[in-house]
Amino acid sequence: MDLGLRGKKAIVTGATKGIGRAIVELLAGEGVDVALCSRTQEEVDATVQALKRQGVNACGEAVNVRDGDAYKAWLERAVAALGGCDIFVPNVSAGGGFDSEKNWTRNFEVDVMHTVRGCETLMPHLEKSGAGSIVIIASTNALETFGVPQAFNAMKAALITYSKQLAQHVGKKGVRVNTVSPGPIYFDGGSWELIKGTMPKLYDYALRQIPCGRMGTPEEVARVVAFVASPAGSLMTGSNVVADNGFTKRVQF
Amino acid sequence: MDEFWQRSKAPAYTPVPRSRPEDSPETPLEKAPTPELDWGVVDQRRYFSREFMRLEWERMWSKVWLLGGREADIPEAGDYIVTEIGPESILIVRQRDGRVRAFYNVCQHRGSRLRGCGIGTTGASLTFKCPYHHWEYELDGSYHRIPDIDTFPQGKPAHALSEIRCDTWGGFVWYSLNESPPPLLEFLDPLPRHLEAYNLHKMVQTRDITVEWDCNWKTSVDAFNETYHVQGIHPQLLWYLHDLDVQIDCYERHNRYLIPFGTLSPRVRKPPAIPEPIKTIMKAAGIDPADYDRPISEIRRDVQKHKRAFGATQGKDYSRLNDDQLTDDYHYLIFPNLSLNVHADDFWIFRQRPHPHDPDRMFYDIMTFELVPDGQEWPQRAEHKQWKHGDKSIGLVLDQDAANLPGVQAGMHSKGFKGLWVGAQELRIRHFHKVLDDYIYGPQGKPAGAL
Repeated sequence: MDLGLRGKKAIVTGATKGIGRAIVELLAGEGVDVALCSRTQEEVDATVQALKRQGVNACGEAVNVRDGDAYKAWLERAVAALGGCDIFVPNVSAGGGFDSEKNWTRNFEVDVMHTVRGCETLMPHLEKSGAGSIVIIASTNALETFGVPQAFNAMKAALITYSKQLAQHVGKKGVRVNTVSPGPIYFDGGSWELIKGTMPKLYDYALRQIPCGRMGTPEEVARVVAFVASPAGSLMTGSNVVADNGFTKRVQF
Repeated sequence: MDEFWQRSKAPAYTPVPRSRPEDSPETPLEKAPTPELDWGVVDQRRYFSREFMRLEWERMWSKVWLLGGREADIPEAGDYIVTEIGPESILIVRQRDGRVRAFYNVCQHRGSRLRGCGIGTTGASLTFKCPYHHWEYELDGSYHRIPDIDTFPQGKPAHALSEIRCDTWGGFVWYSLNESPPPLLEFLDPLPRHLEAYNLHKMVQTRDITVEWDCNWKTSVDAFNETYHVQGIHPQLLWYLHDLDVQIDCYERHNRYLIPFGTLSPRVRKPPAIPEPIKTIMKAAGIDPADYDRPISEIRRDVQKHKRAFGATQGKDYSRLNDDQLTDDYHYLIFPNLSLNVHADDFWIFRQRPHPHDPDRMFYDIMTFELVPDGQEWPQRAEHKQWKHGDKSIGLVLDQDAANLPGVQAGMHSKGFKGLWVGAQELRIRHFHKVLDDYIYGPQGKPAGAL
């Protein structure tokens, strides 16, 4: 199946590690030009170099997405550098945390507002694409209770609702909007490696919830994202695609 | 380099920023010269031989100064502590004049113990009455009353309670079974200069636990004397401390190491979030991890700065400590049997006491203390609790140590074990054995073939 991605232009936030990194690697492999950001310049540079080796145009900057103005300015620079934008994957997250009220501010500013600002800033460019597609990365933590009542879970839920509404709103302009909700994804340097090391009981518990006893990989999430983002996924908009290896137990009718 | 070496070598790392010796108000930071100790095996029979246990008792335990208890536990005349070391029980008593004296806890009549282990008071009587025939002693050990003394044709014994040497330092009572020990401060040297900067007298005891462990007392001492085992049995601590950038200082008989806390080990990858154990340090200092936007590698220094800036407003006086002491673990071994984890806001003492007659068993005492901020009410000290190995949890990290040790002790006995292969990260273990040898074999050194 040809996904129809060749020659498309994608902007992915938080793309030097884990799920974001796997997404840009896969897109580049499909012939997509990519602009990316993360917090650390060296990691951005290394990722950009790796993508260029796949023969695509790639660029990136160190950006703190909490700084709305700086973030929006970078998005505009990215569009200019790529010569347009067909695909937007807001992937950055502040992650879990149950420390104080500040976790709510943090997850709101990072998870929610960087997505909203990104969608609004890039919408004119996505409309011009003709195959404009947004894939927001949510989490199964939004769908079923897990761990503590933390901001991460509720803010991811907000993204799913936002995605659905936005899909209705921009559908007539030819832009599709979906979310992908991964279950536990394990990778070197990732959250689950940290949890396995520092909270082994929580790790074991999560693993027991997965029927085949294996957490997902970033590459597996990237394949779902790439399909939903691609012209091959043209029938999908307003969907929340759960990619969790059976981690959640609810029935999604 | 062969494949084995490549697989096995320690990871490279960037040194952790450290306070400079000249910036330390009191506690010396200079690296002590590394003692020249040979790299031969340590004979495993030292850990289970009854003959070696006897030598330890006669030549070491009976000669050194030992921790008896805390002065604050016996504020009033007649308050006492009964503590045990090997086969002996010691009675430490606050005198009418405020001094502290110590005696063998044994009635001169038929040998009964006067009091059981623990802290207590004579109450208003200010005498110790033996529970057996009610021989009664003054606080200074002399006779107060012997019931029916007229039925003893020989009269009362010429000797009263057997007194032993006793002194105080750091808010603790120390005793020695040695009739002519060196002065306490000389024995502890140079550690008083290291430790007096901490507010030990402003700390309340928060745990007082004794667990009977199925290992030799030295097997337990060793377990706290190196950071090499962190990657082995405490993997979670690799997201909490630097187990390789550790300064080791060996003094005449005591030693220490300085472990950076609140930072990552080079053995783990940089995680996407602040590890929970490091969050604990931040929260204790008053930094909200949810409001922290800098790299994890900056946290240790930021915690130090924050405590320096806001300690006084939290009722905590850090003026006598250097910056590293505000985060790091300054870990001392006071020979022979005290492991001290000393921190700005708390300190823990782990004390290893030999079993009276079994070299494969010991008593592990956990005493933890926390700084009471100025202006806060002095809390009640923790009650003493005692149980056997594995009966109850003593916290994740110590449970990991405890679970490991019986297997180590059993392995010491194995015909297949050729002796302890101790590396540079374990230098303190080697130094500890050297000091033990100094006591057992004296200035002539260890004779050929001796354990």
